[in-house]
Amino acid sequence: MNPEPFLNLDRLIHEKGRLAIMSLLAASPELSFTEMRDALGMTDGNLTTHIRTLQEAGYVSVAKTYQNNRPLTTCMLTSKGRKSFADYINLLEQIIQQSKAK
Amino acid sequence: METNWAAEHLQTIRTLMERSALYRRALAPISIYVGVIGVLGAAGGWALKLELPGSFALYWLAVSIVAVIGALLLVRRQAIRHGENFWSLPTRRVAQAMLPALLVGLGFGLMVAKWAPEFQERYDPKTISVGLIVLWTLLYGLALHAAGFFMPRGIRLFGWGFVLAGLVLFAAMAWTNLSASGISAHALMGVIFGGSHLAYGIYLYFTEQPKNET
Repeated sequence: MNPEPFLNLDRLIHEKGRLAIMSLLAASPELSFTEMRDALGMTDGNLTTHIRTLQEAGYVSVAKTYQNNRPLTTCMLTSKGRKSFADYINLLEQIIQQSKAK
Repeated sequence: METNWAAEHLQTIRTLMERSALYRRALAPISIYVGVIGVLGAAGGWALKLELPGSFALYWLAVSIVAVIGALLLVRRQAIRHGENFWSLPTRRVAQAMLPALLVGLGFGLMVAKWAPEFQERYDPKTISVGLIVLWTLLYGLALHAAGFFMPRGIRLFGWGFVLAGLVLFAAMAWTNLSASGISAHALMGVIFGGSHLAYGIYLYFTEQPKNET
C-alpha cells in the first residue's frame, strides 16, 4: 500500500478534539462557543485550547461580540481551514479506496 | 485495518456535521405552551359561540398567531440564556421547512373567512369548519414532518400523527354525518392541536435530556 496519503494527513486536524471542532464548523457558517461545547461535551478549557491552536494555524476565526449585554464568542472556519478540512477528507477517502483496490 | 480506521473517522465526521446542523432547543416548554394555548383557544371559541365558518377561521388564525409568537419568544429566551444567536442556522432551517405548509394553511383560513357565505350556500357551517380543520391538521403535520429533518426524530413521528389524524377526520367527515353529531369544531381543535401538544410536551418534559437545551 502506498503510505503517502496517510503521511500527508494534516496532523493538526487529525487530533480527535480538533477534528470534531472542524467537523462541526464545516457544517455551519458559524457556531457559538457554548453550542460547540455542548455538542461535543468538552470542558471550557479543553475547547479553548483546541480553538486557540486552530486559530493560530489560521483554520478558525473567532469573533467576540455582545448579545443582550452578554458576551458572545462565535467561531467559523476560514477559507484556509475549509480547504485543509476538505483535503483531509479527500486523503481519508483515498486511504479507503487504496485498501479496497488492494 | 487502516481502512476501518479511516472509515470510522469519516463516519465520525459525518455524524458531527449532522449534529451541527440539528435544532437543539428544548421543545418541552414550547410544546406545553402551544398545547395550553390550543386548549384555552378551544374553550374561548366555545364560550364565545363562534360557530360560523368565517368567524371560526379568523378566530383560530388569531390563536395560531399568538401560539407562533409565544413559541418564538420562548426560543429566543432559551437562546439568550445560553448566550447563543436566536436566528441560528438550525432555527432558520426549521422555520424555512415549516413555512410553506403553514402559509398554505393561512391561505385556506383566509379563503374560508372571505368566502364563508358563498360556501354556506352549498354546505352546512360545521362541515366547512371541520373541512378546514382537516386541511389545517394535514398541513401542520406536513410542516412538522419537514422540520423533523432538522430536529430530533420524534418531531417527524409527531408530524405523522397529525397527518394520520387529518386523514381519520377526513374519513369521518366523508362517511359519517359529523355535522349532525354534537361534536363542536372548537373541541376538535382543542383536542387535535391543544391536547396533542400538551401530551407531547409533558412526555418531552420527562424524557428530554437537559443537555438538549442548548
